[in-house]
Amino acid sequence: MPWWVVPVHKDHDAGSVIEAILREGARLADEVEVFFGEGSSVSADLKQTIVGEAHLSRSWGLGIRTISGGRIGISSTNDPEKWRECLDAAIAGGRLATPQEWHGLPAPAHFEGDVPVFDPTVRVEIEPAREMLRELLSGAATYPADVVGGSAALSRASLILANSTGVWYSKEKTGVGISLEAISGTSTGYEFDRSCFLDVDPFDVGKQAAFYAAKSAGGTDIATGTHDVILSPIALSQLLGHVLVPALSGRNVHAGRSFLAGRIGEQVIGETLSVCDHPHTRGLGSTLWDAEGVPTRRLDFIKDGVLSCFAYDLKTAYRYGEETTGSAVRGGAGGSPTIGVRNVLLEGPRGDIAEDRAIFAHDLVGAHTANPITGDFSVELSNAFWMEGGDFDTPIRSAMLAGNVFEMLGRVDGLGRENRIVGTMILPPVRFKSMQVIGK
Amino acid sequence: MEEPRYWDIRHVGGESTHIDIDNGVVESAGTSFFDTAVLRVLAGKGWGILTIDNYASCSKADIEAYIGRAIKLARVTEEEVTLADAPSGILPVPAPREDPRDVSLEEKRDLLASIEAAARIPGIASTRGHYTEGMNRVAFLDSSGQEYQYEISRCGFSVLAVARKGDLMQMARESEHTITGLNLRHREAMGREAAERAVALLDAQPAAGGRMHAVLDPELAGVFAHEAIGHASEGDLVKEGSSVIRGKIGEKIGNEILTIVDDPTIPEFGFEPVDAEGVAVRRTEIIRRGVLSAYLHNRQTLAAVGDGVAGHARAVAGDSPIVRMSNTFIENGDATFEEVLEGCGTGILLKGSRGGQVDPGRGIFQFNAEYGYLVENGELGAMVRDVSLSGEILRTLHAIVLCAQDRQMHQGFCGKSGQSVPVSDGSPHILLEDAVVGGPGA
Repeated sequence: MPWWVVPVHKDHDAGSVIEAILREGARLADEVEVFFGEGSSVSADLKQTIVGEAHLSRSWGLGIRTISGGRIGISSTNDPEKWRECLDAAIAGGRLATPQEWHGLPAPAHFEGDVPVFDPTVRVEIEPAREMLRELLSGAATYPADVVGGSAALSRASLILANSTGVWYSKEKTGVGISLEAISGTSTGYEFDRSCFLDVDPFDVGKQAAFYAAKSAGGTDIATGTHDVILSPIALSQLLGHVLVPALSGRNVHAGRSFLAGRIGEQVIGETLSVCDHPHTRGLGSTLWDAEGVPTRRLDFIKDGVLSCFAYDLKTAYRYGEETTGSAVRGGAGGSPTIGVRNVLLEGPRGDIAEDRAIFAHDLVGAHTANPITGDFSVELSNAFWMEGGDFDTPIRSAMLAGNVFEMLGRVDGLGRENRIVGTMILPPVRFKSMQVIGK
Repeated sequence: MEEPRYWDIRHVGGESTHIDIDNGVVESAGTSFFDTAVLRVLAGKGWGILTIDNYASCSKADIEAYIGRAIKLARVTEEEVTLADAPSGILPVPAPREDPRDVSLEEKRDLLASIEAAARIPGIASTRGHYTEGMNRVAFLDSSGQEYQYEISRCGFSVLAVARKGDLMQMARESEHTITGLNLRHREAMGREAAERAVALLDAQPAAGGRMHAVLDPELAGVFAHEAIGHASEGDLVKEGSSVIRGKIGEKIGNEILTIVDDPTIPEFGFEPVDAEGVAVRRTEIIRRGVLSAYLHNRQTLAAVGDGVAGHARAVAGDSPIVRMSNTFIENGDATFEEVLEGCGTGILLKGSRGGQVDPGRGIFQFNAEYGYLVENGELGAMVRDVSLSGEILRTLHAIVLCAQDRQMHQGFCGKSGQSVPVSDGSPHILLEDAVVGGPGA
């Protein structure tokens, strides 16, 4: 690891700290689990067209979970010397928790193969980040727009999950992230890409950001009415991530906070559409084991429009007499495991969806204000255009889109051919029939 | 070795505690520990910035090596960074009325449980209570020898209620966060209020979209101030050319009854005793009587842009300081609430907020009300739900034609560049003419 000249934790190799916690934890609690993460990242940031900042960060953290008589406690620290205090805090927290049905942490499993999340060619060094900024800028020069800012980041992380039942899994993960923001007059454009591999295309990301800024200039107003709308993978991921994904969580279902509760076996979205979480395909969330060591598998949440399962972690599954679906995720070493998704795929009939006239929106403003329980939303469109014959036509200056996420998935009129990875989702652009658009 | 011309280190350590109660079950409770520092160095041109986890255990030799590392890192930078001089100084952190650390986790759990239980009324299908408490110990040191240390604790809770009738569901939420000490006692009414509103929303109609006069309650108008002008006035956005109010200092960009302020000195949730670069904090009038009068700055953006006040740099633990809002509000006007409703005539009264977002370069913002009431001839009518508003910064500020005298502050978290900082927003009731209201209703 030549890039890092200062040893931060001189006397602490993570393995011996984890072993000590498992040993001591087994004395104090029925079961103990340690989630450890260590990582480094560099990034270089553009201020307009020049590099303004270079960042290097190194993180080290561990989370401890203890279970005693069905009482679950959790704590975390980034000080290796504080592990005893952290273990005590987990046990103290557990004493306050309501005891629940619990049948043990998972035992070690055997895994065949691996998932693609590590690229040995990713170097956590500032020069390759600087080089990506150059390419972002050359791409952005394709269209008449000014660069406002941009960023290129490279990272590497090691994770270990260990428990008192004998699980000791580790993995290495790399990350590459780029973004560029451009403006033309008062029309803005933003593009980004993230991958575990050095397969991102900075030139194209820069070019797309400048394209959206330049192409959106001189937009016209639109009258309030009903129109067909095409949402880009970015726009769609925001609505689905805020409304559909939480509704598929077993915890929300049993807690009475999911619109989909009690609807297994019913048609809940368009009958040509399927939604699954595929942790073994290539994506940002790919993993063989979940955040509590349960082997992961493909989950077909919705098949041909019919709801077929929800996502569970151990805690929710034990409590409600269900089986874990290997859906535990953690935000980092500090977070408790919660129910989440890895790579959500939307499948359905593919085709040329921009032949007939429709409004295309590249992004949304305010998608997080959608009602997460009912799915109702009204959001402002960003980089919206009339499209026809597969081409961008006139830009639309400003318009709001209103509807309901669940109901909208019942009027899908086709999926585009190309998938794009956006966070924990892999989505194509999607065309929706007759949406309510509020103009100026 | 190259010598740095400036460096600073901001070290934040502390504990965070949470309690999560879901339908009466204590899902999780406990305390975690963190310790992290950010070192920023200027040597040649731009910034070299290191984030160092578990900084507390670093020796002096380590720190010198870190400075050397940051200088090397910064060799790729090209921007000539200049820092403006700015007054230094630190305010005392208001003493908490009841220090949350003096109250046991058991007692806090019981207090939260009673707020959450108060939300379980007939018609309610799900309730959830969440308590968070964060103690930060901040130490700042820069190359000129300036040094500040302070401790601040922030705590608060939220309660969520979901009502269900057949296939219909609606939710409502109440929350309160503070820097002035434990706020869990005698708050059962907030649980009940969330529950009653969720039940009432089952019978509310979705709002119909279109242009209409809108009265905004203090919470929503606060979010409006934050989204519609606050972000666009941030000096880094102005400097980089992504704010529509760039170059408009001294111009009348709003109605003359409108004064909008960002003030980190008041004891609200966005309070900072000193900013994240060691600069003294100050009340800043962004808009005074309709005229754009100042941008919010850090030392770098003040030097680059001018026209404003440094002292608005903020950072979450482990991230570098950027220009942020703190406590942002519209000043009281001279109308009564009744006059605001009368002025509205026929339109809509919007209340509560699920947040908002702005594209400051484009000058377009969106924000969302939890619920509202139709207004007919100045009288309140039927309840409506899920109402959003969108607008253009440079047009909408002229459309605020009445401000009442009942300003209140509400707390929240504001996200920018991946950092989420505690803020408060506030306003009196205001009347917005010809607002663009988006709702799924026909």
